[in-house]
Amino acid sequence: MTALLVTLFLPLLGALLLLFFKSENKGLIKNTALGISLLTFVVSVFLMLGFNSNNPGFQFIYEAVWISAFDAGFRIGLDGMSLLLVMLTTFITPIAILSSFDSIKKREKEYYVMVLILQFAMTGVFVSLDLFLFYIFWELILIPMYFIIGIWGGKDRLYATVKFFLFTVVGSLFMLIAVVWLGYYAGSEILNLSNGFTTNYLVIKELHDRIPVDLQEWMFLAFALSFLIKVPLFPLHTWLPDAHTEAPTPGSVILAGVLLKMGTYGLIRFNIEIFPVASMNYSGIISTLAVVGIIYGALVAMVQTDIKRLVAYSSVSHLGFVVLGIFAMTAEGFQGAIIQMVNHGLSTGMLFLCVGMLYERRHTRLISEYGGIAKVMPNFAVMFAIAMFASVGLPGLNGFIGEFLTLKGAFDSKILGSYWYTIFGATGVIFAAVYLLWMYQRVMFGTVDNPANKNLPDLTSKEWAMLVPIVIFIVWIGIYPNTFLKISDASTKQLVNKIEMIKFNKPAYELPEIKPADKNIKK
Amino acid sequence: MNWYNIVFYLFALIVLVSAAGVVFSRKMMYAAFSLLFTFFGVAGLYVLLNADFIAVTQIMVYIGGILILIIFGVMLTSKFTDLEIKSGTTGTVQYVLAGISTIIVAAALIIMYLNVDWVQNPVPELESTVKPIGILLMTKYFLAFQVAAILLLLAFIGAAKIARRK
Amino acid sequence: MYNAVVNELIGSLGLIKPELALLVTFVVVIIADLIFKNNKVNLGLSILGTIVSGIFLIGMSGTNTSAFANLIAVDPFSEFFKYLILISTLIVLVMSEFSEELHNRDVWMGEYYMLVLGMALGMFLLAGATNLIMIYLALETMSMSSYILSGYTKEIKRSSEASLKYVIFGSLSSGIMIYGMSILFGMTGSLDLYAIQSYLAANGFFQPAIFISGLMVIAGFAYKISAVPFHFWTPDVYEGSPITITAYLSVASKAAGFAVLVRFIKLTFFDAAGSSDESWIMMNSIPWDMVLAVLAVATMTLGNIVALWQSNVKRMLAYSSIAHAGYLLMGIVVMTNTGLMSILVYFFFYLLMNFGAFIVVMLFAHKIGSEEMDDYEGIGYQAPVLASLLTLFLVSLTGLPPTAGFIGKLVLFGAVLDSGWYWLAVIGVLNSVVSLYYYAKVVRNMWLRKVDNGKGTLKFSIQSQALVMVLGIPTLVFGLFFGPIMRWAEHSVRIFLGN
Repeated sequence: MTALLVTLFLPLLGALLLLFFKSENKGLIKNTALGISLLTFVVSVFLMLGFNSNNPGFQFIYEAVWISAFDAGFRIGLDGMSLLLVMLTTFITPIAILSSFDSIKKREKEYYVMVLILQFAMTGVFVSLDLFLFYIFWELILIPMYFIIGIWGGKDRLYATVKFFLFTVVGSLFMLIAVVWLGYYAGSEILNLSNGFTTNYLVIKELHDRIPVDLQEWMFLAFALSFLIKVPLFPLHTWLPDAHTEAPTPGSVILAGVLLKMGTYGLIRFNIEIFPVASMNYSGIISTLAVVGIIYGALVAMVQTDIKRLVAYSSVSHLGFVVLGIFAMTAEGFQGAIIQMVNHGLSTGMLFLCVGMLYERRHTRLISEYGGIAKVMPNFAVMFAIAMFASVGLPGLNGFIGEFLTLKGAFDSKILGSYWYTIFGATGVIFAAVYLLWMYQRVMFGTVDNPANKNLPDLTSKEWAMLVPIVIFIVWIGIYPNTFLKISDASTKQLVNKIEMIKFNKPAYELPEIKPADKNIKK
Repeated sequence: MNWYNIVFYLFALIVLVSAAGVVFSRKMMYAAFSLLFTFFGVAGLYVLLNADFIAVTQIMVYIGGILILIIFGVMLTSKFTDLEIKSGTTGTVQYVLAGISTIIVAAALIIMYLNVDWVQNPVPELESTVKPIGILLMTKYFLAFQVAAILLLLAFIGAAKIARRK
Repeated sequence: MYNAVVNELIGSLGLIKPELALLVTFVVVIIADLIFKNNKVNLGLSILGTIVSGIFLIGMSGTNTSAFANLIAVDPFSEFFKYLILISTLIVLVMSEFSEELHNRDVWMGEYYMLVLGMALGMFLLAGATNLIMIYLALETMSMSSYILSGYTKEIKRSSEASLKYVIFGSLSSGIMIYGMSILFGMTGSLDLYAIQSYLAANGFFQPAIFISGLMVIAGFAYKISAVPFHFWTPDVYEGSPITITAYLSVASKAAGFAVLVRFIKLTFFDAAGSSDESWIMMNSIPWDMVLAVLAVATMTLGNIVALWQSNVKRMLAYSSIAHAGYLLMGIVVMTNTGLMSILVYFFFYLLMNFGAFIVVMLFAHKIGSEEMDDYEGIGYQAPVLASLLTLFLVSLTGLPPTAGFIGKLVLFGAVLDSGWYWLAVIGVLNSVVSLYYYAKVVRNMWLRKVDNGKGTLKFSIQSQALVMVLGIPTLVFGLFFGPIMRWAEHSVRIFLGN
């Protein structure tokens, strides 16, 4: 519990601390920001060690009275799914900060304050057990992200940041309506609370069978709109390529690494948990869109001339797998979706870092400007290759596990009830191989035609420090995914049981009994 | 048709015709003089309603005070006496639109007047209304009376402020 | 013979102590202005009087009765609005001290304080008025002062123009209102809202007549809260007036307008005995809720859409304040005490954020000599503290967390959803999205354009920054801890319903 509070609030305290530094003190500011984010990561490792993966429920629960008139509390806690995403956040942020050292050259103090606030809000999204708190964190993300893209971004940053902002806010306002509606409905119609309102997630998630289906569907749509914009699902994705292309490298890393996962996380946590029946009713439509997105994203990525844009479209494609896995509503599907979220964070984050390194050296992202880089920067070529293969889904690296599980989940799904999703979805894997390998070939192989590319320096030690930790996890998940799958195993099985109980009246899995006494103790 | 009605329609006609004169006359001076008859006609209507105090007030304040001030103002600023008043845009469209909306409003009001069951207080014996009004102003409407005084004071301050050069 | 009446009058005097304090201050300032001819003395006396009035108000908290033979009600509902008016008045008085516009070119400030106090007095009476005559007089007292104040810097052409426009439209709407009142009087034979209500309840009536007269009276109030289609004066007057007065009109005068609107509708058209907190029972078949809903939708939509095209920040805030009136009207549409509470909460937060935004705009105008959005480019780096606060106020006006404005919208939309007006809530939310765009435009210009414009930092006095802070900190704090305000508003929805 203490560890969770520290993980959540340490970045915020760090941001406040930075405010007291003088802007001229750039070295100190950079190192403090990095130190705080590393410290947060260390604390979050304790979370992982203290986590009991046999317990499907929430752990490290902390509740504080906040607004009694609303029964909106400061409620936080973790289950297996959110733990992995919190770990991803605490892991990616220091790397993003490290990569900012060279790429951010103006107004450093404000920048690092923004990044730390962003980390605070992202962690908050993943640990909130209260709809109201969740909404606040969700909106809080926008503010630092708006400035990070808008101030430190590329040429068309204003257009990109406004587009990003408007898309996200439109979605989240509909979510707000649904939160309020649900809060009132649960508070006054179902539970008859004295104040007529509650946003306690732990209470609300048990009420799914008492919300009429038509109401469920409206609220489902409102929540889903918000989350699917964030994911982003085809055809709501148009903000993503612009935002990615214009964001500074660390911004892209965080955007791809963590921010997009908030959407998919929200789908599992709120849409499926609270509105299971509506989710089943809409699973076909959303899965179809996910498959369309997989193929569309891949095809559009193929014709890109800008490397960063290409990677951005590959995100659209990859996140399609995640959504497909979620709406398969099987244990493999959920597990695959969660591990694929982590994978995408690692591999796409690394791809963006690599693109950023090229950009730092040449100040262009056009594929045609490059060629034969492998000869000039051999070490970089290896690293870029690992990131690319992880993204393609080569067996032995992490991407394979996620894509395989989501596709298998969709294949076995009784709720989707059709193989076609899997068959079409699987073509996305092939397309991914085509566009990524083709891009790699054009950038890395061939002769060094462009004289500007002749004398590029290879990886610096700082860059090694960014890439190696990611590679470790890419290989780890690829070879022995059980370390991570085990964490979210119990939670996903419990969720599947809930769905199967509704659909078939019997649970699919047996879960070990948890005695209250050893809830938080590792076995 | 008794005398009461004849007198009423007479005053009503004066009010209507002279009010039309105020609106339609193009010269400031004519408009001001037409207004005199409007005020006078209204005062006559008040008399018919046994509202003697209001009628006298109407004559003293509006005709004796306000209207004289207006005419003085017009005459002192000699430029205005012959000035033709022009409104900005008066095309056919505006006339038609204004006509239609006037007819709608008038129709609505007429329908309303014909259908409403108006409260009819019994006509009191002929006696002066000054005393009851005075008592009401000092008892039931005491606060309103005082607020009206404050309102006038504020208007006075405002007028002084506007009139001051700097 | 009249002893009993006189005794009641004397007793009633005790119930209007806050108003009397304002009145005495008003008179004292007039005299002091003659004797001392010193603005500082006038300002000091005005602030002192406002505070004394506030102390009296605190002393009377919880009173729920009627005074001066039902001319005004002294109830928690009016008390809440009186606090809003007092706080606004205090802010305006202090804000005027920083205004260069007013202290420029020998503008004599003596009348300014008198008129502000007179206006506050008018609004106080309006918040409690329960008699048509009283409503009219209080409204005129407030209007008369605001006409003059909006043209206070009459040497500036657009200020006189604003004033004249305000007077002409204002007289027209007053005329319509008093015509409606006279019809209402003709039908019921009474000016007292309680008596009108019981007469209407006891007798069958030609419904269109009630509808027309009610609508005419409401038009007079709608003018004050600048609801569409009675909003024409708003942008020009807001742009032309001294900015202190613009802020005052957009908050305090709007608050008083809402107070009287709610009270008039509730007391006249609803069954006093049959209504519960959850739902008010309408007495006749006229769908007042639908009328108000249409008014609300038109107001917020028009306000927001026109605000989109504005390039002047002051004018943009003027249109956005029209839009906010539209949101607030939704709280009346639902016709429940929850809706009423949401209006109160929203108003309190609206006061903080709107005043905050106006003050920052004023301070910026002093330094850069412009209120144009384009001139705000890069100002975030020239004046980081004030620009951050303006950002906060604009975010709050949009209604995003973690600011007070978000809570206001949340409570408001919650009340609307709770009573089943789903389409209204959806339109409200879509409007918020539109508003996001123009508020974000200012933020974008301040922070994202001309990031390094090389201009030096702008210096602002500590006092002026402190004033903005006083509004900014609550805007943030109430975004996270709003329980006290909610409870206060909950206690304040009680309208005195007659003996």
